Amino acid sequence: MWPTQREVAAGDVVIIWQTRELIQPLLITPGKDFNSRFGHYRHSDLIGIPYGSKVTSRNGRGFIHVLRPTPELWTMALPHRTQILYLADIAFITSWLDIRCGSRVIEAGTGSGSFSHSIARTVGPRGHLYSYEFHEARAEMAREEFVRHGMQDIVTLTHHNVCKDGFTVENMADAVFLDLPAPWEAVGHAKKALRKDRLTRICCFSPCMEQVLRAVNALNEAGFTDICMYETLLRPHEVQQLPTPLSLDNVVSKLKRLEKFREEKRLRQIANSKRKREEDSDIPEPDKRARIGEPDTARDEGGSRPPLISDPHIPPKADDEVNEATVSWSRVCHEVRGHTSYLTFARLVPYPAETSSNGETEGLTTTSE
Amino acid sequence: MDNGSDAGNAHHLCRNSTIQHGHTVLLKLPNGEVRSIKVEKDSTLSLGRVGSFFANELIGQPYGLSYEIHDRKLKRLPPLAMQDIAETDATNELINDGDFVQPLSVAEIEDMKKSGFHASEIIKTQIEQHANYSLKTEYSKEKYKQRKEAKYSKRFEIIEPTMYEVCDYWFRKDHHRIRDIRTDTLSQMLNLANVRPGGKYIIVDEASGLVVSAVLDRLGGECRIISINDSDSPPAYPVLNLMNYDKKGLAKVLSTLNWSTAQEDHVPVHAPLDPTPGCIYSERQRARLDKRKVASDAVMKTRSELFAGGFDGLLVASEYDSFQIVEVLSPYLAGSAPIVVQNQFLQPLTGLHAQMRQIPRYLAPSITEGWLRRYQVLPGRTHPTMNTSGSGGFLLHAIKVCVANIPSVV
Repeated sequence: MWPTQREVAAGDVVIIWQTRELIQPLLITPGKDFNSRFGHYRHSDLIGIPYGSKVTSRNGRGFIHVLRPTPELWTMALPHRTQILYLADIAFITSWLDIRCGSRVIEAGTGSGSFSHSIARTVGPRGHLYSYEFHEARAEMAREEFVRHGMQDIVTLTHHNVCKDGFTVENMADAVFLDLPAPWEAVGHAKKALRKDRLTRICCFSPCMEQVLRAVNALNEAGFTDICMYETLLRPHEVQQLPTPLSLDNVVSKLKRLEKFREEKRLRQIANSKRKREEDSDIPEPDKRARIGEPDTARDEGGSRPPLISDPHIPPKADDEVNEATVSWSRVCHEVRGHTSYLTFARLVPYPAETSSNGETEGLTTTSE
Repeated sequence: MDNGSDAGNAHHLCRNSTIQHGHTVLLKLPNGEVRSIKVEKDSTLSLGRVGSFFANELIGQPYGLSYEIHDRKLKRLPPLAMQDIAETDATNELINDGDFVQPLSVAEIEDMKKSGFHASEIIKTQIEQHANYSLKTEYSKEKYKQRKEAKYSKRFEIIEPTMYEVCDYWFRKDHHRIRDIRTDTLSQMLNLANVRPGGKYIIVDEASGLVVSAVLDRLGGECRIISINDSDSPPAYPVLNLMNYDKKGLAKVLSTLNWSTAQEDHVPVHAPLDPTPGCIYSERQRARLDKRKVASDAVMKTRSELFAGGFDGLLVASEYDSFQIVEVLSPYLAGSAPIVVQNQFLQPLTGLHAQMRQIPRYLAPSITEGWLRRYQVLPGRTHPTMNTSGSGGFLLHAIKVCVANIPSVV
């Protein structure tokens, strides 16, 4: 799979991290350039730098991080050919299906390869992934990708409709994963492909409840047991640096100050208008502005009369209201993924077929939920 | 290549596909309870109400099968299939709580059990005598039978100790001791940390060894782990007991340091002395000196391995200050290595996030919480389960990047 050496080499696929929303794969090809709104880079400049390096642009317009690909980064960076599986589902399925180093796993269909990369990483060179894709162009693109990523020894990709033609292996898989529109059509084939000398497992990945019900029936009829179904999601939290909330005391004292200020203003206005009325009796044309208590500079220039009492400005904020301290708080992001698919799981128990027909079956057989 | 039988390879910690003498196994009882029990040759294993049986009956058996106890012997049972239920017009219109419906007394049932009646016969008798049984809906009859089954059945199932099952078992048994790490969270930790065959990981595990066990199990021991703990002696990882690993094989892949020996400036207080030439030592003194030398050499070797760095990932599930942990250990990570920190509380991770965001060495710290919902899937009765776990803990993950700015050559 992806190389594990420390430094980037020509021919490596690296992940160019620009922002959380802009993560893309790049095949390091000497002579080529990488251009984005975060600057211009020559591939040859990236060769020999340690993975995980921050690189600034030739034109100084920005920087990028050059990361080693992992299946998790690949899921964020890959070119979508279909709807893809994300971390929460991939991780949970891997764990339930007990996929480990050395496991032999079947996957149908390959789709955009998000699940395939994760499984190939986990099973490693001692295990194997048999991946089936019925769409020819998509199969071809996935095949090229697997070669580019050095996975050809771990993954066998077959262009094949498994619902019609079944799988190419028999009695040897440890786990089967079906991401198909009609998984129930492949359940019988899956049973054939699973090994019978030990406990094996299957997962059907379906977005609709109607598909789940049909898959459950098919699994039950094929002799799979412990059928159960899960939904799993990731709730991303965002952390914000916010000013420490003020104490109520600040509000109370502010309100008290305002109340006092307003009362003083009222009294001032009364005093002003009283004085004005006395003065107005001397002047034939009343000044409208003076009536509402605003200071009148034009009149002040005349300097003959004493100025009216002008309003002081709104009292300045007290020092304790300016809060420098901050806190880090988090909340669930506003818009999150609400549904991906239902995960229907079942087990195939290595119970010898010959003893199952000798009348041991009891009358009271139901799954204990 | 046979997965089940490469135990001969010293580098691989293989999970056995059959039960062996000395193994701890998980059993699922009729009421759904899961118990762990040690299978010792020639002993009798007791499952309480379900009965007891000879341990030898289980040795050599594959995982995943169901048995019934008959006179301390085990009888293999076929796995339980799901049964379709016919729709009827029955309702609970005429069924009232508190009605006297069951003339069969507790004493009579006890007598039946003592005289060796099979659970199905006891339940059949109860049903026959039940005054309102025929009024029940088919669904309700099914539930009734299941309830009785859980009570009288002598059936049990051997659970394969997969990491999923082991985590689930501990989560139900004592979720505090595994720091609330639920199966989904644990699986996300393994994926986010890019746990892959041949990888080298630093793990801080105060979750009873769950995280260490999960990495070991995922990789079949094809990895190198240095775990850092807070005790003077090697940590007790109770979860690891369920994995039934060979001790010698384990020591090859897992080494531990504590927070003191993991400091670069740490000086051992009692440096082991080489035997002074000319001194005469008793056999016991010599053995003691040798033992101390071996232990001390192992610590020194692990220290230099840690300080040499280049680790592929850091996994933390700890009660200590996680920022300090990340700061102390991240220098030993290779560039682009993932950092995954788990906590059962959100707030410590929020603080850690704020601190890490200030430091360019940590790229894109993100906090997530797993959400998991199980459904009952029975014909005509598919719905989410009524009770579910509220939280499986929180995760913070980030990528370690190189601090030095590499300008593109001008």
